[in-house]
Amino acid sequence: MTDWSHLIDLEKCTVSPRVFVDEEVYRDEQERIFGRCWLYLAHESQLPNPGDFVTCYMGEESVLACRTASGKIRVFLNSCRHRGARMCRLDAGNAKAFTCPYHGWTYDNQGRLIGVPQFKEAYYEELNREDWGLIEVPRVESFRGLIFACFDENAQSLDAYLGDMKWYLDLIFNKTEGGMVALPGLHRWNLGGNWKLAAEQFNGDNYHTGAAHESMLKIGLGPANGQFLGDQPWVRDFEAKLDNGHGWINFKIDMAGGVPAPLAQHMERMQAAARQRLTPAQSELVGCVHVGNVFPNFSILTFLGFLTIRVWHPRGPHNMEVYSWSMIEQEAPPEVVEIARKMQILTFSPSGIFEQDDGEMWGNSVKALRGMHRRNFPLNYQMGAGHGRTDPDKPGLIHPPSTEIGIFGVYERWQALMGGA
Amino acid sequence: MMNAADRTRLRHEFEDLLYHEAWLLDNDQLEEWLELFSDTIRYWAPVRGNMEPGREDLSQPHLLAHFDDDKTSLTLRVKRLRTGAAHAEEPRSRIRHFVSNVQILETDGPDRVKVGSNFQVFRSRWEGTEHVFVGCREDWWRRIDTTWKNEERFILLDHNVLENMTVFF
Ligand code: FES
Ligand SMILES: [Fe+2]
Repeated sequence: MTDWSHLIDLEKCTVSPRVFVDEEVYRDEQERIFGRCWLYLAHESQLPNPGDFVTCYMGEESVLACRTASGKIRVFLNSCRHRGARMCRLDAGNAKAFTCPYHGWTYDNQGRLIGVPQFKEAYYEELNREDWGLIEVPRVESFRGLIFACFDENAQSLDAYLGDMKWYLDLIFNKTEGGMVALPGLHRWNLGGNWKLAAEQFNGDNYHTGAAHESMLKIGLGPANGQFLGDQPWVRDFEAKLDNGHGWINFKIDMAGGVPAPLAQHMERMQAAARQRLTPAQSELVGCVHVGNVFPNFSILTFLGFLTIRVWHPRGPHNMEVYSWSMIEQEAPPEVVEIARKMQILTFSPSGIFEQDDGEMWGNSVKALRGMHRRNFPLNYQMGAGHGRTDPDKPGLIHPPSTEIGIFGVYERWQALMGGA
Repeated sequence: MMNAADRTRLRHEFEDLLYHEAWLLDNDQLEEWLELFSDTIRYWAPVRGNMEPGREDLSQPHLLAHFDDDKTSLTLRVKRLRTGAAHAEEPRSRIRHFVSNVQILETDGPDRVKVGSNFQVFRSRWEGTEHVFVGCREDWWRRIDTTWKNEERFILLDHNVLENMTVFF
């Protein structure tokens, strides 16, 4: 196995462009990162009933997540054992069994092969059906309704993997009794750019907002003070480098145009609810802008009442496919859901006026980094290095925006997984 | 009920109007384009999925969309393109709209008409990133004095996996 650890320089805090553009590096990532890390699949509110299923991806693998009769969620590769045909071509639905469109092998939602056409006439009943069930993803675990799966049987538990990220995820997913629910529908789109560029931005890049989102400031749909920064550095306005390459951005801003009254009232109610459930230090942060990434490629962003959660699926070193869902507190009245939903569509969706500019940047970088000469010169991740602090009130290594302490954590983790061992 | 000749005349009228609209979009006359919409416009493009036949329910509450704009947010989108800092449109993409299959779908008195049309939009971005967006639209137009204003635009994009969308339909 090729040892790629030399592509990250831990002392200098630099990253080789090959991490983002090299085909061989990309191929090894599929095994060593996507084959070993916990990957986000779906939210439990998308498959509430026995028989419900959703199809999605783990890296480049199409998978089928099923809620079985016992209520357990099981995940299988969405590929028939006979000739490999994609079994299920629907996004979601309810089914007890799945019949392969090619020759008609049928599997139940526990992956067992239960039907083989011409079993007697063609197979002389000699096919051992038990051996030919769907390929199961061995580990499936949830945190606050977020379902993750892992190809590595021996991986640490999801709980341990998320580590101190759980404290921050709770600001969103555990602030109310009902938790978060997914709205129907999925934003799915192709983007130029390596998946890590998107992941690292959500992990901890608040530095880009002034330049990349300058147009938002110019039209007055941005912070009242003209900066995506609050006025309580270290306390409420900070970035946190977390376990296992995860990261969190937190800040509070007043919007130039204010916030619609029903949404403002709703956010106040949510903060009051949070005080009953979370620690005082956590409740103080509820209602801020939160942006984060669970290594490798699961990102969240909550802003102006909406929550978008998304996965940056790798599609070769130079492209990705985004799956993005919209969520809101189960307690939100329909009027607030509509305000938040429209705000998300306008800002963070394939047509979103923030999203479009982020999407342009990632493709832009890989296009430039692809050159055989350019790739010899490292990229700089030194911002704030050595200046992070721990804080008794909240986990992680903390620093106010802007810093690249957390972002570089993505590459420290990446290096640990991409070494030759 | 409208007779066939009136219907044809009305269809011609809307063909002219929709071609003019396409010309405005292709020639970056976006402020003038906004004038075609009434102040109560809903400009809406729901997401599509892969569902069992007959199960795609575009009217379900809170369904995600690619656009769900009113006049204020549409105007914001246009203003943003004028800032010189909307990077996904700097430099501006080369865009061409093709409109066809124009039909009068419904009338509601002499001054309200529902018009269907198909579109193809070609976008060439920067050094050669090229995309085609295909779909249909159903518009409710209302005659106010002598001009038609669009009060509702429903856009059905025939895509499941989309691209960064910097264009209007
Ligand atoms: S490939 Fe599925 S039955 Fe043959
Ligand atoms: Fe951004």
